[in-house]
Amino acid sequence: MKKPLIALALVAAAVVIFIVGRGMTAEPLRATVAGSSYTAAVVIDRPATGRIRVEIDMLSGEPDTVAVSAVMTGMGHATPELPARRTGPGRFTAEGELFPMPGTWEVSLRMTGPAGEESLVVNALVTG
Amino acid sequence: MRLVRLLVLAAVLVLAGAAPAAAHNVSAGAELRIAQTIAGTELTVVVKGTSRVPGPLRIGIVAYQPVAGLPVALEVRSAEDGRTVTGRATAARDPRYTELRVERTGPHVLTLRAGGESAVVPFRVLVERGSTAEFWIYGGFFVAGLLLVGGLLTGALSRPGPAMAVAGGAAAGVTVAAMVIVFEPMVPPGPPDGAAPVVTALRGGGRPFVQERARTVPARPVAGEEFTLRLDLVDGSTGRPADDLTVHDEALAHLIVTSEDGRYFRHVHPLRTAPGRLEVRLRADRPGRYLAHTELEREDSGTQLLAASFEVGGTSARDTGAGTPNADTRIPDADTGTPNADTGIPDAGAGTPDAGGGASAAGAPRLQPAAPVAGRPATIELDAVGPVRPWLGMTGHLIVRSLDGSFLGHVHEMSSPGPRLRFTFSFPEPGRYLAWTQYALADRVVTVPFTVEVAAQEGSR
Repeated sequence: MKKPLIALALVAAAVVIFIVGRGMTAEPLRATVAGSSYTAAVVIDRPATGRIRVEIDMLSGEPDTVAVSAVMTGMGHATPELPARRTGPGRFTAEGELFPMPGTWEVSLRMTGPAGEESLVVNALVTG
Repeated sequence: MRLVRLLVLAAVLVLAGAAPAAAHNVSAGAELRIAQTIAGTELTVVVKGTSRVPGPLRIGIVAYQPVAGLPVALEVRSAEDGRTVTGRATAARDPRYTELRVERTGPHVLTLRAGGESAVVPFRVLVERGSTAEFWIYGGFFVAGLLLVGGLLTGALSRPGPAMAVAGGAAAGVTVAAMVIVFEPMVPPGPPDGAAPVVTALRGGGRPFVQERARTVPARPVAGEEFTLRLDLVDGSTGRPADDLTVHDEALAHLIVTSEDGRYFRHVHPLRTAPGRLEVRLRADRPGRYLAHTELEREDSGTQLLAASFEVGGTSARDTGAGTPNADTRIPDADTGTPNADTGIPDAGAGTPDAGGGASAAGAPRLQPAAPVAGRPATIELDAVGPVRPWLGMTGHLIVRSLDGSFLGHVHEMSSPGPRLRFTFSFPEPGRYLAWTQYALADRVVTVPFTVEVAAQEGSR
């Protein structure tokens, strides 16, 4: 008789821990962004201050170079560009310090290639 | 065993029953209205929000000036996956809405094309998320209801143990539902699906100022010929294009272009053609220096006013053969109530009746006090010449400019009843001011130009 109630209590506790825990950790940034010449999937596994890695998968368009920079529009902060290196066909990776402080950042991907130059922008929520 | 089966059944029913409850917890996103000066006319683009994705996005083009079925090509592109849908709308006073299909929430780009011009307007499709609170309220009551029936049945079959357990479960269900009902209003609602991420703690600080680089294409426009006024907006703190304008009084930017002498006046809504770039086509009717005042607002910030000027060459397009240029034109005084037929009406070439005939005495502005004093509120009243309809979110607008153009004010009508428009403004310094009131009738925008003489305060002379 007691067993189902204990099981129910355990399940309830697990659900609470899951909901609370999910809200506390930084979620990886996964976004696709489409401009008029290029479309890219962007992954930042750990959008945080310090050294990070930005992975860019081209879904359409073939840029020769990709440079990543960030702007915190709310505070008027901008960061220098991190040049991304080509790691495979249609794949680019940029590494370095992109976010000097936590907050809402716009990650700008400046692409140049035969199709011209275009900047694609994704929003990132950066935790500490 | 029977109890376990009952619990599993209840859980299945809760999950199955909760899905529709969440799905019809819908919220149609707010309507987006953006004024655009395109193809030589004033239009307002209305995008009606959708309550679901994939779903319909309805777009209508409201005309404020006489246009004979101006076609506007529409293109909506998702900025996440690049999926594009196109359509066509016709500008009209009461437009028919064109329905386009959007597949997802998040950032989109609307491209408008009309009369050889195009505008690129970014926007977000937002859909309210289903409330988890509702799931727990309905779920809790649903479980309680089921278990109460089960408890009664098991009690009727004289099994006090299981009956107590089932009734206990019912009590738990009622408790969960009641708790959520009590505490749910205290929990801030989550952002709708498709919203940009924000840090709530950092909001409200305001964004850096915008710098404006204004130039004309061609560099030296000629009176009587069309030219493009291009405004490049630059973030004063990062030097990058400022591309985060928010809709303010139903436009991304309100651009007031006046000739230095005040005889030329246009209130237009430039088109966003690229990130941080606004463009509008104009035709100046006289050579000389022109002032461009841009009123705009960045996200999370207040409005700001940017001033620029440009030169127009050539000879006066209107006064050829009429003696010295502009000799026969005169800006009327508010007291005389004879508005200048030569200025003020946007796009006078479109044949608006006021352009030629002058306004009737009913349209003449009245000042209260008759001689306004600097630094004290003055009220300007005028009667509309017909039924007024809201334009740019207001019944009427009053633009005041100091004679040298160093000061510009934009006053809103105070929702007076009837056809009377009333504005109150404190002119900051004594002197002569140029003023224009604007309001929309059924088929056109009426502009009434006049001047105001402001006296100095007693004792400060």
